[in-house]
Amino acid sequence: MNNLIDFIYAPLAHDFMIRALLMSFVIAISCSIFSCFLVLKGWSLMGDAISHAVLPGLVLATLLGLPLIVGAFISGFSCAFLVGYVKNNCRLKEDTVMGIIFTFMFAVGLILLTKIETELHLMHVLFGNILGILEKDLMISTVIGSVCSFLLILKKKDFLLYCFDPVYTRSIGFPSKILHYALLILLSMSIVSSLKAVGIVLVLAMLITPGAIGYLICRTFNSMMIVAVGISVFSCLIGTILSFHFDLSTAPLIVLIQVGILLFSLPLRNLYVKFLCAQ
Amino acid sequence: MIEYLLEPFSYDFMVKAIWACTLVGGLCAYLSCYLVLKGWSLIGDALAHAIVPGVALAYLLSLPYSIGSFFAGFLAVLSMTAIKIFTKLREDTVIGMIFTSFLALGLVIASFSPVSVNIEEIILGNILGISDYDILQVIIISIICFTAITLKWKDIFLVFFDESYAESIGINIIYIKILFFTLLTASIVAALQAVGASLVIALIITPGSTAYLLTDKFNKLIIISISIGTCTSWIGSYLSFFLDLNPSGLIVCLQSLIFFITFCFSPKYGQFTWFYKLNN
Repeated sequence: MNNLIDFIYAPLAHDFMIRALLMSFVIAISCSIFSCFLVLKGWSLMGDAISHAVLPGLVLATLLGLPLIVGAFISGFSCAFLVGYVKNNCRLKEDTVMGIIFTFMFAVGLILLTKIETELHLMHVLFGNILGILEKDLMISTVIGSVCSFLLILKKKDFLLYCFDPVYTRSIGFPSKILHYALLILLSMSIVSSLKAVGIVLVLAMLITPGAIGYLICRTFNSMMIVAVGISVFSCLIGTILSFHFDLSTAPLIVLIQVGILLFSLPLRNLYVKFLCAQ
Repeated sequence: MIEYLLEPFSYDFMVKAIWACTLVGGLCAYLSCYLVLKGWSLIGDALAHAIVPGVALAYLLSLPYSIGSFFAGFLAVLSMTAIKIFTKLREDTVIGMIFTSFLALGLVIASFSPVSVNIEEIILGNILGISDYDILQVIIISIICFTAITLKWKDIFLVFFDESYAESIGINIIYIKILFFTLLTASIVAALQAVGASLVIALIITPGSTAYLLTDKFNKLIIISISIGTCTSWIGSYLSFFLDLNPSGLIVCLQSLIFFITFCFSPKYGQFTWFYKLNN
């Protein structure tokens, strides 16, 4: 027992580990709340597109001396906007348009990054650097994350209605356009707030997997949200501690643990369903 | 002046890079015609990312990278299908989840010390530093894929365009789909060397989509798409020498620029068709 406690406490002796753990909790909570909506809406590729499209904004923001978050948010959201415009005005399918536009923005970002001397490190942008989080980053992410989560929970019913049935939403007089763009803005915000820690590529996993687990296990939306948040926080805790002990990279490990839980929960759920049927 | 323009060809690595890019660009553009019809862009992106642990493991065990990545891609498709069958999750959720977890696995493998897996090279490609051994793999894969698609192009087209009709005239749909996924994985594996995992998706959707805005005939679609793919790859890698840039970024930018120009000024499906009416 003592060994186990030492195992958990050992990383907490370091300041940077405490910050990493707090940061991962913040991201876990805000991303997993959003993931419940994302899984219902089927916007996984949109998350992927926005997160990749953030790159040119990051580079330009460092060039102009703006806060990184602002640049990232503007370029991520403009990607979503551009996708909507092109899709409505030509005969290509939405996922094709997304693929074209986000790769274009990512390529521009790469070119800018090689041409302009910045203190951005490409590997940190791509995969995050959760162990190098500063107190300032932690503050910003906490503020953005809690604003996002607060808005999502406050307007839960409206967003849920929109995710389930956009046509019905419009027909009963809800402003579905506003809900659509609000959801896009919140998505960009959650992605931006977790960039520093998990990077462009792995953000998507944080935005899908918890919601998918909740969707598989639960019957109601509220319980789905609770399960998603719980599992996400749990896997962040385990992932961060394990990565400290075994000297592995943190963010990928968290993602792997989440997927592991998903794979583990599948047979359990089937057993539970059988048990219910037997009764 | 001419000497200046021919300078890239005096370097061995530039010649290799330019022709490897052109080959891969053409191959991917060929496949993109089919992907545009079917709307399978996410699958392409997912495969490109899911390959990463295979490459990392191949480095680790010093196997040819193509074997490792092909295996990983195959495994990814298999697990997507399995999860899709066993759960009621949406397709895009399953795809997104699987490919991010494969990528994460690749990153964890790469972080095992002490290994010299260069993850940046896998993600961004390193065509300028490509070894002869790797280029041989790219050439072999490309030739096999080209011949396979050309031999079966009509069957694949039929299956993608109208599945029930294809079935009624006796085409084995499952077989054709498996064949196509194998070819797609193989081409992505080849393209990985040229442009890296994160930009492969551009090569396998942009040329086809551009051609799709220009023509309604499938043979013309293939011709336009392949010409766009090969020309942009050639020019992009050639220009990268003078501009001192990453060829992959440049190729993708060129392709997207052509797409945006087509989107605006395509005679039939463009945004600004009033432009032509004004002139007539």
